[in-house]
Amino acid sequence: MQQRTIITIGFVVLFYGAVPAAFGSTDYVISSIVAALTIAGTAVAWALLGNLGGMVSFGHAAFFGVGAYVSALLTMNAGWPVFAAIIAGGAGASIASVAIMPALRLRGPYFALAVLAYAGIFRILATEMEGITRGAAGLLSIPRLPTILGFDLGTNIGSYYVILTIVLAAMAAYAWIRRSEIGFALLAMHETEDATRILGVPSTRLKAMMLVLSAFITGIVGAFNAHHISFLDPDYAFSGVWTVLPIVAAIFGGFRTVSGPFIGALAIYLLDQFVFKSLLPTGHQIILGAALGTMILLSPDGLVPLLGRGLGKKRHAAT
Amino acid sequence: MQHPALEVREVQAGYGPINVLWDVSAAARAGTTTTILGPNGAGKTTLLRAIMGLVKVRSGAIEIDGQPRTGNATWDMVRDGVILVPEGRLIFRDMTVEDNLLMGAYPARSRPRAASNLDDVYQLLPRLKERRRQLAGSLSGGEAQMVAIGRGLMEEPQIFLIDEPSLGLAPVVVDEIFAILRKQKELGRTIVLVEQNTHMALSLADHVYLMQSGRIILSRTAGEIDINHLHDLYFARETAT
Repeated sequence: MQQRTIITIGFVVLFYGAVPAAFGSTDYVISSIVAALTIAGTAVAWALLGNLGGMVSFGHAAFFGVGAYVSALLTMNAGWPVFAAIIAGGAGASIASVAIMPALRLRGPYFALAVLAYAGIFRILATEMEGITRGAAGLLSIPRLPTILGFDLGTNIGSYYVILTIVLAAMAAYAWIRRSEIGFALLAMHETEDATRILGVPSTRLKAMMLVLSAFITGIVGAFNAHHISFLDPDYAFSGVWTVLPIVAAIFGGFRTVSGPFIGALAIYLLDQFVFKSLLPTGHQIILGAALGTMILLSPDGLVPLLGRGLGKKRHAAT
Repeated sequence: MQHPALEVREVQAGYGPINVLWDVSAAARAGTTTTILGPNGAGKTTLLRAIMGLVKVRSGAIEIDGQPRTGNATWDMVRDGVILVPEGRLIFRDMTVEDNLLMGAYPARSRPRAASNLDDVYQLLPRLKERRRQLAGSLSGGEAQMVAIGRGLMEEPQIFLIDEPSLGLAPVVVDEIFAILRKQKELGRTIVLVEQNTHMALSLADHVYLMQSGRIILSRTAGEIDINHLHDLYFARETAT
């Protein structure tokens, strides 16, 4: 427990202090880290549903896009302040997730397929509802993050602090639920759902709660991204990238741990941008695929458990 | 007249297009042990699952203390203190023995007393205390059955439904399990016991039902039971009268 506290404090100091101090003046690096954190936030939300809810989703792009559009439209058409609109974006994604709830009765690949089909609906809605969303033309000049106490959050470094806080808050919520009796019951449910039911666990209700929460977090991240880059169109907001990269990141980092999706997203995205891309300017994702394949063979539980095992071994050798 | 703790009346239930229970009526009085006997496929487990809301009841009624509970969700039955120890135990193999028991404290009704209930369970089942940190999947069949019973006790059962606790266990272990159940009976707990092991089950019963092909074909108090007649019925050598 103490060791965990030290790690957490070191983590916070590193990301709030050291990273901006080191890269704050290099716009390209810091904006790549912001993009990585955007993936990380979605990856945390995806893993929360995948690990606690036991449901693999291929539809998180829907929540990401709905959050983005709700927040962008509220600021542009209704004059909402940006932060209030971002939270409304999360709420909008949660409401959108209600439509997929009947699929919670499905298991494994059937749920995954249903969500894949469901996600397609929202891209079509965003394209066709031209009166509201301006269709394929997209939304331009979405209000940027505001200036608070003289600090402009609309800059890359400002956005970095905002998305970092969002992601860490999501991880804290995830960790808290995991330790609560709800998390306990959800993890037990993976083994035998029948057994948890006879213990009085309202299993479908708990799974629905995880779905709504996962959609909420993803919606907030999507909304943040809309204000950060100040542009949206249906193909971008509902792009399969928002589904695939978080899954890759979560699996690479270790989707059964709380920090795995975060570390996986940073590792994968930054390696891809700064190493693979310079090695192989076109088709650099091939190396990414190979890296993921290697990780699955090497440690099916991902990078974080692998690191933990390495540490454990060293400690054994020392004593 | 006082209502029975649990009563089912003319219940029909089954899976999909297949009906399993045909007009099943039975009652369990508070503080007694009611035993449901019958061969494989007679519908005993389905009856317990229908009571728990795990199988849809098509017609008929289920009552607790005279209050209608037909069609209730499983967690509502648990909230009312109707607790099932399932056939095949269904314990969480990847969790420790203690975590398995603590899962039994999930319902809000018994959660505040989880710590003292855990002590009680360990007192009743000292072997589980020895193995509390062990993964449940590494236990023997008898110990796994003890975990399932202990987990049920953590839920503070008002009506304790126990489905074939002797299944797959060696005779000496069956004796041990029934000694545990006898202790519960002596404490005045209301028990509904489903068994194929006629001999052991009768040693505990106050009232006996015999099921066959989804119907109750015999209902007797323990004193009225003629074991030879029961065996004849059990093996369908004659029809019930």
